[in-house]
Amino acid sequence: MSDFWILNMFFVVLLFLIGLFCLLAMKNLIKLLIGIELLSKGILLALIATGFEKNTILTSQSLAISFIVVEVSVLATAMALIINLYRHTKSLDVKNISNLKG
Amino acid sequence: MHTFLLLGLVSCSILAVFSSDLLKAAISLAGASIFLAMLFFEMGATYAGVFEISVVAGLITVLFIATISLTTKEEETKHSKRLRLLFPLILIGLILIDFLFMRQYLGGLAPLAGPAETGEFGQIFWGGRTFDLVAQIAIILSGVFCVLALFRKRSGDE
Repeated sequence: MSDFWILNMFFVVLLFLIGLFCLLAMKNLIKLLIGIELLSKGILLALIATGFEKNTILTSQSLAISFIVVEVSVLATAMALIINLYRHTKSLDVKNISNLKG
Repeated sequence: MHTFLLLGLVSCSILAVFSSDLLKAAISLAGASIFLAMLFFEMGATYAGVFEISVVAGLITVLFIATISLTTKEEETKHSKRLRLLFPLILIGLILIDFLFMRQYLGGLAPLAGPAETGEFGQIFWGGRTFDLVAQIAIILSGVFCVLALFRKRSGDE
């Protein structure tokens, strides 16, 4: 394994852990979306860095583009959900969204 | 240069997580996207870099700002003091764990480098991954229908 790849993976893990921390610790819905974004950034960096290491950068790029499209679709749906939830609860705190709790 | 870009990416990400103003958090996230796109350019992934800048740093930031302006009324997200004090310690712990174990585990893997890919990006994207493109179209359409369904006016509202 080259040092370059290991350096990239070090930062991938760091990004992933920051994203996970954001998902676990934050209570604001938009902050949770930011956490998901950070996770996806880590995955994208891992894809491209591994493609660069394996000499398959073209396939990695096409996978990364597919991933970005999925990410945008998920985020657009999540933001529409957030706006609808805000209209009902007048709050972005996840603690206030417990109406469906059993 | 590469390490500087990686450090910029992580710093912008930490700013995005810990900024008390949501608008500043969204802009920091766009900054992180720009750093990531520059990393892509540096590694030769130009098409992915262009997508990252135009779609993630552009479109998603606009979506974030639109959502923030539609939902919050200049209210700030207050983080607990304990979280603010705890985060640097957790981050240092994570970096230490990452630094101590990463090389040990990844160093044992077989080398990844193989023969270089031949052909153009277009051939691989349109020819080799046609099924992905069909799936992408389906995902985009499902996203559009979800948003339409969520913003549909009820008959009672009119």
